[in-house]
Amino acid sequence: MTMFAVRSFVIILLLAQPAFAGEVNGTLSSRLDFYPDRDDGSASEGRSAEVKIDAFHDFDASRIVGEFIARGDEKDSGRRITEARQAYLRTPLAGFDVFVGNRQEFWGKAESKNVVDVINQSDAAANEGKSGKLGAPSISAERYLDIGDLQLWYISGFREKTFNDSDAHPSSGLPVSSAQYARKDGKDADDFAARLSSFAGEWDLAGSVFYGTARDPILSVASDGGALKPYYALQKSIGLEAQYTGDVTLLKWESLHGTQTGLLGTHDFAAAVAGIEYTYYGPFETMWDIGLIGEVQHDDRPQAAANQFFVAGVRLVFNDIADSHVLFLASADRKADQSFVSLEASRRINDVTSVKLTSRFYNARTPSSAFGQLLDDDAVTLTLNMFF
Amino acid sequence: MKLATATMIVTIASACLTTGAFASPEKGLEIAIEADSRDKGFGDSTAQMTMILMDKYGQSTERAIRNRTFEGDNEGDKSLVIFDSPGDVRGTAFLSHTKKADSDDQWLYLPALKRVKRIASSNKAGPFMGSEFSYEDIASQEVEKYTYNYLRDEQLNGLDCFVVEYDPVDPKSGYKRQIVWMDKAEYRVHKIDFYDRKDALLKTLTYEDYNQYLDKYWRYNRLVMINHQTGKTTELVFADWKLQTGMTERDFEKSALKRIR
Repeated sequence: MTMFAVRSFVIILLLAQPAFAGEVNGTLSSRLDFYPDRDDGSASEGRSAEVKIDAFHDFDASRIVGEFIARGDEKDSGRRITEARQAYLRTPLAGFDVFVGNRQEFWGKAESKNVVDVINQSDAAANEGKSGKLGAPSISAERYLDIGDLQLWYISGFREKTFNDSDAHPSSGLPVSSAQYARKDGKDADDFAARLSSFAGEWDLAGSVFYGTARDPILSVASDGGALKPYYALQKSIGLEAQYTGDVTLLKWESLHGTQTGLLGTHDFAAAVAGIEYTYYGPFETMWDIGLIGEVQHDDRPQAAANQFFVAGVRLVFNDIADSHVLFLASADRKADQSFVSLEASRRINDVTSVKLTSRFYNARTPSSAFGQLLDDDAVTLTLNMFF
Repeated sequence: MKLATATMIVTIASACLTTGAFASPEKGLEIAIEADSRDKGFGDSTAQMTMILMDKYGQSTERAIRNRTFEGDNEGDKSLVIFDSPGDVRGTAFLSHTKKADSDDQWLYLPALKRVKRIASSNKAGPFMGSEFSYEDIASQEVEKYTYNYLRDEQLNGLDCFVVEYDPVDPKSGYKRQIVWMDKAEYRVHKIDFYDRKDALLKTLTYEDYNQYLDKYWRYNRLVMINHQTGKTTELVFADWKLQTGMTERDFEKSALKRIR
């Protein structure tokens, strides 16, 4: 089934249900980005707004789910999008829950990076972190077994990663040209994936397999130097996930092993994140939780910014009525050639409004390194969310 | 003479026990077991909750929550809490598999990421959603989680009550002890005084407006938690209690978290 057919099927189902038994919710987000430029001391701004509609409708034993996004940006056309992040029918069939349509799914355990999270393409231009994803046009089935939860995925088409404009942030400064693919069907090639996840006592475990187009493209500069060319390799991989949940300590592991086939043949790769999170509950006679995060990232794929990153972070949860949170993360590669610092703070203003402040700062000793191209992309972002 | 004195002491002692003038761990445990057994067989339950948080100046804010519970056989109950408002936590869900002896297993569903996250359950004393209820207050109560001491009989709101001290077994509990008032006729809890780790009175919880369901099971419609140390109050107003709705254990597995709204 093609991507078009999957989408049409869901749209027909959406239209065919006259009596409504569900919920419709919306979120309106307005966002102000501030980009201080360290080279000449000047600064620029960006403004954007996003509307998200979440809805579901139940009938018999089935459910139709929709999550639609429309985002406008004053300058950056890369961030502009209308997207059915989710638009699927879920129905029971032969002991499975079967999902048909666009779906968003999360796999992984770690905090700083999720190497096993392979189902969705990243809506990277949104700069929304892990929640910025594009819906995967798919047929998937889930079943609860004695040994754990089984998921089977058929993804009927490839979604390209989104990029910001060359004069927007973050950007290498070069426009991104049309993509090339290792697979002869290119964008129309199908992907397959499966995952089994389970838990026993303090351990949550999962294993997964993937065959399809790699989500991250290899970017190379075109021969005339005027553009970046994304190249999507063929990826075959096995993912492993584990989390140990102790009283105050969480230990996390996720890894992806496999091969990528591209212009230079087939190469083995390994990517992994190992982490620890230690939480002090109610320190200094407060209601706060203070979480200390340490993670090590390894990724030897050509798409990675560096082979190794060391990440340290602090999570502050105030446990107050406004649900205030702060997350600080700092990462650096092994030789400290490249580093990255981010801060995220959020709180509720009232029942229908919340505010989030995020900032990111890049450092690099070598201008040609991945972060070296992002030195003018430091940003402070204020987002106001209204819920209706 | 010696025998007569001994007999008298035994007689007085047993008289004291029956009128409840002496503390008794055995009787405390008996009461807790009886209260637990009277609620056995409810199967599962659902309820709508409004949480009203009030600061010491009387300013209040509200949250809408749904609660689902599945009765455990050998292990503890499984419970699911789903947040409908405020908007920023809409769709967030909290799943807890209560254990009689071990730490509970707990997961959180984060709707923006579609992520199910296992969380540490040792944060018992931490506030639930910024309220005066801690995680251990909202967790399902299992007999094995406390040791008991029956203290006395006392009238409360015109009802004959047992007054029993509950001492949490888990050292991570935020409480040194709880004093529980339970009516003798139906074994329903009416009031709990919570004492912090320094044995100072921290909070008082009152249970109001009980209704009986399926001719057997009592459920309250209002809980009021007053924090004596901060002056803050949290009220939980329940509506639409339903028991034996036909939910299955599968509805309380971590994979079900992604499916609820």
